[in-house]
This record gives sequence, structure tokens and C-alpha cells, in this order.
Amino acid sequence: MQSLYVEGNSALHRLSPRAKIFSLFLLGFVLFLGDNLPLLAIVTLLTALIYRSIGLSLKESAVRLRPLLLTIVIVALFTLIVSPWHVALATLLRLTALMLFAAAVTATTTITQFMDEITALARPLERTGWVKADDIGLAVGLVLRFVPEIIARYHAISEAHAARGLKVRPATILTPLIILTLRDADNIAAAIDARGIRRHVS
Amino acid sequence: MSTRDLVLAALFAAIIVALGLLPPIYLGFIPVPITAQSLGVMMAGVVLGARRATIAVLIVLVLVAIGLPVLSGGRGGFAAFVAPTSGFLFGWVFAAFVTGFLSERLVHGNQSGLVQTVSFFLAAMIGGIVVLYAFGIAYLALAANIGLKQAFVGSMAFIPGDVIKAFVAALVGRAVMAGYPLLRIRA
Repeated sequence: MQSLYVEGNSALHRLSPRAKIFSLFLLGFVLFLGDNLPLLAIVTLLTALIYRSIGLSLKESAVRLRPLLLTIVIVALFTLIVSPWHVALATLLRLTALMLFAAAVTATTTITQFMDEITALARPLERTGWVKADDIGLAVGLVLRFVPEIIARYHAISEAHAARGLKVRPATILTPLIILTLRDADNIAAAIDARGIRRHVS
Repeated sequence: MSTRDLVLAALFAAIIVALGLLPPIYLGFIPVPITAQSLGVMMAGVVLGARRATIAVLIVLVLVAIGLPVLSGGRGGFAAFVAPTSGFLFGWVFAAFVTGFLSERLVHGNQSGLVQTVSFFLAAMIGGIVVLYAFGIAYLALAANIGLKQAFVGSMAFIPGDVIKAFVAALVGRAVMAGYPLLRIRA
């Protein structure tokens, strides 16, 4: 699985991940305060410039942004039906600006930087006993390790269906997929504990 | 949390991610593609129960946050959190919890298969549709600056597909419970 990070050395790349994430939250809050169309248009233009500055080609940008832009346009059109035009336009600008800046933050921050921030965020919660900050990294690693395996297993099960002349139906393919996958849990857990990866567990 | 519970949650998170990458499965009688990962969220609830299902969904959201394209259609990164439909994404956490919570309480080992399936269906309907749409619609109304009623009407189109998903989740939940029981059932 390819991360959405883009190699580069733009100003946004050099900014600390925490500052970027905080700015995103701030932008999300500020954008919903007012309804001033020219101002919203300027902010949207600025975020578009920021997104351009990270060094993605126009083609690649289009591929990345298309699914979300489509959702935003559909929502804006729907707003146009039920509200006056300037409300719909404000919605369109607001959501587009937010999407562009969020996509820019994701494209300029590595997985490691994000994991460090999430772990740092979870650290104070350890005292509540709900979460162990280091488990987050372990869980993320496990998922990345097993997604390809699950997909391979899915194809094996659908081939088994085909070999028996059966149609692939959700219940008949998902049940064996889930049972086969979760049955590994005991062995994986034993392997993790045998290596002492979760030291804090007695 | 035991290592086994953590691994079960991570494996289910991997299943939810894989469901977004796989080609859509078509239902025999109605040509509805089962693409959406919300089916995975419902299944997490009925198979794992409240606590582990909630953790599984949280792991998926962490993967989205760190910039991996793990949502269906290759979506991911912070942009997925600020879309007008993101309420449905955040709502997954509560959908998984409520589906799991109800499954643990409604389903008993000594019920007949039919009663168990119906109970799982109810749990998936309430958690995966009522709770999920409550979050999704409230967020959509706020983000798109439209009334709750309009947001509600706009979201109605997706309900039939989700009812079918709840039905599939119920069948899978019952079958997994018969084949490899994981749900902690209250006596």
C-alpha cells in the first residue's frame, strides 16, 4: 500500500507536523465562522496555491482529489436546491478549501511523523488505562502485514467457489474469510508475547 | 487488553481495509454491489462484540489519519476527515460499539439459529444504520449548512443498500458464531 506522502522539500514539508495538524483544526473552525464570499474565495485560492506548492503534478493532483471533490460538488448542488445560491457557493468554497489544506498536510507529512504525533497524543491517556500508546504502532503494523494476506485468501475462496460451480455470494465468501483470518489470532498473539514486544503486559 | 484481543481487533481492521480494496460482490437477487466498508463495521460488531469492534474501527481511522489510502476508492489522509460526509466515517466508531453491545446482549448460545440471526440483524440495523446515520446526517447538515431535514432526505437513498448489508452482517455473524465463536455472551 502506497502512502499519500509526497517526497519534497517545500515550506509545508519543513513545518512541524504538530503545527500543520493544529493549523488544519484552526482552519476547519475559522471557515465555518463567517459567510463572506470574497473572503472565502481568497482562502480557497490560498489553499489551492499551498497545495500546488508541494510539487505534485496536475494529473496526480486530479487523481487524488477527484473522489472527494465529487462528493463536495454533489453536496453543494444539493445545497443549491434547498438553499439560496450564496449559501451553496459558501459551502462549496469552504469544503474545497478544507479538503485542499487537509490533502496538503497529508502529502507533506510522513507516516512516521504522524505515528509519533498519535503516540504522543495517546501517552497522557495511558494513565486512564484505556490505551497503551505503543500498542497503536503495533496494531498499525499488524494491519499492514495482513491486508495482502486477506486479499490473497479472498481470491483463494472465490476460486474454490468457481471450482465447485458456486456463485460468489457475500455470506458464503465473508464467513470463511473471517473465520480463517481470525483463527490466526492465537498464534500471532503467542508470537508477539514470546518476543516480549508488549513489555508492559505481565 | 490482552494481546489476543489487540490482535483480533487489528485483524478485523485489516479485513475492513481489504473490503475497500476488493472488487464489489454482487447480490444474487438484486444488482447491488456490496462495496462499502460499512458492512465491515457491522460485521466487526456482530463478530467481535463492542470493545474489540470499537478498537478495530479506531485502528482503521488511525490508518486514514497517517495518510494511507485505506478507504474504498483509494481515499485516505486528513482530507477524508473534513469531507461533508465525514460524519459517516466518525460514526463508524459508535456504530461498531452499539452493534457489538446489542449483539452481546441480544444473542444467547441456547437460542435457535433463526432467533440469533434476527437478533444480529436488529443489532446491525440499530448500530450500523440508526446510530451511523444520526452522526452522518448531523455532520452533513452542519458541514453543508443545510437543515437536518434536508440532510435526512438526502441520505435516504443509501438506506436500502445498508439494510441489505445489515442482513448480510447478520448471516455472517450467525455463521461465524457457529463456526468460530468469539462473541462474549452474557449469560
